[in-house]
Amino acid sequence: MEFIWDPLMVTAAMLLCSAVGYVILLLSRMGTKPRPNPEKNRTYACGEVLKPEELHPDSAGFFSPVKKVIKPFYRRVGGAHTGDLNRYLLWIAAGLLVLFVTVFLMEVVLGWAL
Amino acid sequence: MIPHSPILAIVLPLLGGFLSPVIGILERKHGWRRATGIFALIVMGVVCVVVGSMVTDVWAGQFIIYELGGWSPPWGINLAVDALGAQMALMIAGLGILVVLYSLSYMRDETGLGQFYALLLIVIAGMMGTVLTGDMFNFYVFLEIMSVGSYALVAFRRTPEGIEGGIKYLFIGSIGTTSILISIAMLYGLVGSLNIADIGAKLTLYSGNVPPALTLAFALFVTGVMVKVAMVPFHTWLPDALTGAPTVVSALLAGPAAVVGIYWVARLPYLPFGMPVGVILVSLGLLSMVVGVLMALVQRDFKRMLAYHVISQKGYMVLGIGLGTFGSVLGAQGGLFHLLNHSTYKCLLFMCAGAVLLQANSQKFDELGGLGKKMPVTAAMFLVGSLAISGIPPMNGFVSKYCIYLSGLELGQGWITAIAVVVSALTLASFLKAFSSVFLGQLPGRLEGVREAPRPMLISMAIMAAVCVAIGLLPAIGFNIVGPAQAAAENSVGYITHVFGENYLAAGGMMP
Repeated sequence: MEFIWDPLMVTAAMLLCSAVGYVILLLSRMGTKPRPNPEKNRTYACGEVLKPEELHPDSAGFFSPVKKVIKPFYRRVGGAHTGDLNRYLLWIAAGLLVLFVTVFLMEVVLGWAL
Repeated sequence: MIPHSPILAIVLPLLGGFLSPVIGILERKHGWRRATGIFALIVMGVVCVVVGSMVTDVWAGQFIIYELGGWSPPWGINLAVDALGAQMALMIAGLGILVVLYSLSYMRDETGLGQFYALLLIVIAGMMGTVLTGDMFNFYVFLEIMSVGSYALVAFRRTPEGIEGGIKYLFIGSIGTTSILISIAMLYGLVGSLNIADIGAKLTLYSGNVPPALTLAFALFVTGVMVKVAMVPFHTWLPDALTGAPTVVSALLAGPAAVVGIYWVARLPYLPFGMPVGVILVSLGLLSMVVGVLMALVQRDFKRMLAYHVISQKGYMVLGIGLGTFGSVLGAQGGLFHLLNHSTYKCLLFMCAGAVLLQANSQKFDELGGLGKKMPVTAAMFLVGSLAISGIPPMNGFVSKYCIYLSGLELGQGWITAIAVVVSALTLASFLKAFSSVFLGQLPGRLEGVREAPRPMLISMAIMAAVCVAIGLLPAIGFNIVGPAQAAAENSVGYITHVFGENYLAAGGMMP
C-alpha cells in the first residue's frame, strides 16, 4: 500500500479555510457591532456572585460520561492501580508467565521455529 | 567520521559526568553561576558533533565496527553502528542537549547541581552504550548504568513523591534488568558467546528444534525489555516515576530513555533471538495504547496524565514494529517514525508542564487555569505538542500514525486501524481537557503574578515545536532517517556478515 499524503497541499488548504472562516467572522462583526456593558460581562449563576476560582471546571467531571460508559474498566483496571508495589511486582511475574506460555505454545503447538 | 567516534560518543558524557561534581565545587567556591550546567551543555554539544560525524558515514552506506582494545569479535567487545543504532544515537544526542539547555533555567534554584549533571551525563552515556554496543553483556552493563542513574535522578529532589517514584522504579526496573541478565547468562550457556552477531549466527543452528531453555531465555529478555518500555502490565513504575521526578528528568525519561527500549523492541524479532514475536508485540502494543489513554483521560495531575500518554504512545510504536514482523514495511517504518516523533513532542509537552510548574508552582489541573494570557508562548508550544501527539495534520504525529493505520489495512486487519484511530481521538480529548484546564478559562487570583517561562526553557521548547512542524510538513526528513533504520533492523544476515565477514554464516557460525 502506497503512502499517500501531501502535507504542504493539505496545510495550504487548512490555512485557506481558516482565513475564509476569519473573514466570515470579521464580516459578521461588521454587520452586528458588539455593545458590551458591565452587566453583560458578569457571570450569571442564579444570582450568586462567583470568584474566578469557582468558575474553573472540575477536572474529574470533565469526561464523566466516558467514565460512566466504560465503568467496568475504571472499576477493575483503574482501581487496580493502587500504588502498592507488591501488587505491581505480582503483575510483572504474571506477565512473565503469560509471555513464557505464549512463546512456548507458539513453538510447540504452532510449530514456529527460529 | 571523527576517529574513534563510536567510543567517544559513550566516553565523553561518562567523563563529563565524573568531572561535573568537580565543576560544581568550583562553581560554589568561585560563585560561577550555572558553570556546571554550561559544562554539561558543552559536553553534549561535543557529543552531538561526534554522533553527527558518525551518522553521516552510516547514512552514506557504511556499517561501522569498532573493536575495543584491538580485539576482534567474538573474543573482544565491539561497537556496531548500523542505520538503526545511528538513528537512536542521533536522537539521544539531539534530545539530550535540549534537555540540558532546558535544565539551565529549570534547575537554577536547586542545590547539588554537580551531582545532578553527573547523573544526567552518566545516564546519557548509558543510553549511548546500549544502542551502540555489539555485545550482550556490555548492553546489560550500559543498561544498568542508565537505570541506576535514572533511579537516583527521579528521587533527586527528595520530595515524598520523588522518593516513592524512585523506589518503585528501582524495584520494578531491577526486576527487568535482572530478567535480562538471567536471559544473557542462559544464552551464554547455550551458545558460548556474548557477541550479538555471534549469538544470532549460532542460534540459527537450532532451526526447528528450540530447547525450552532458549524459550525461557527469550521470555525473560522480552519481559526485561517490556519493563523498560513500560508496556502494560509492566508499566506500573512509569506514572509514579515521571510524576515525582523533576520535570527535566521526566522529559529525559519520556524522550531519550524511550529510545533505548524501542531500539531493542525493533531488534528483538531479528537479532539475537530471531524468534517470531509479532503476535506478542501487537497484543502488548494494543493493550498499552488502550489502557494508557483511558487512564490518562481521568487524571487530575498534569504530569501524571502525560506519563500515561507515554505508555499509550509507546503502544503505537510497539504495534507498528509488531505489524512490521508480518511483512508490513509501512508498519515497521511507522513504529520507528513514531519513536522519532514521540520523543520530540513528549519532551516538548513535559517541558511545557515543567514551565507551568516552575511559574505557577502547581501541576494539579484544579489549581490552574487561564495561564494562556500569562504564558502565551508556553501555551502555543503546548498546543503544537498536543496536536502532534493527537495525530492532527499537519503535525509530525499524524504522519507516523497514518503509516500505522495504513499498515493495519495493508495486512487486512482493519480492526487494528479502528482501535488506533479511536485511541488517537481519545488522546485529543485528553489534551483538550489539559489545555482547557491549564491555559483557558478564568485565572485564579493567586496566579495573577505568574510570568512567562525563562528564555533558555522557551528556546528548548521552540526547537522541539519547530521539529514537530518541520517533520509534519516535510515527512521525507523522517522517512530518510527511519527508512534505512528499518532496513538495517530487518537485515540480520547483513549485520552478522558485516561483523564477521562473508563466510561466517556459511561456516555455521565458526570463524573461517
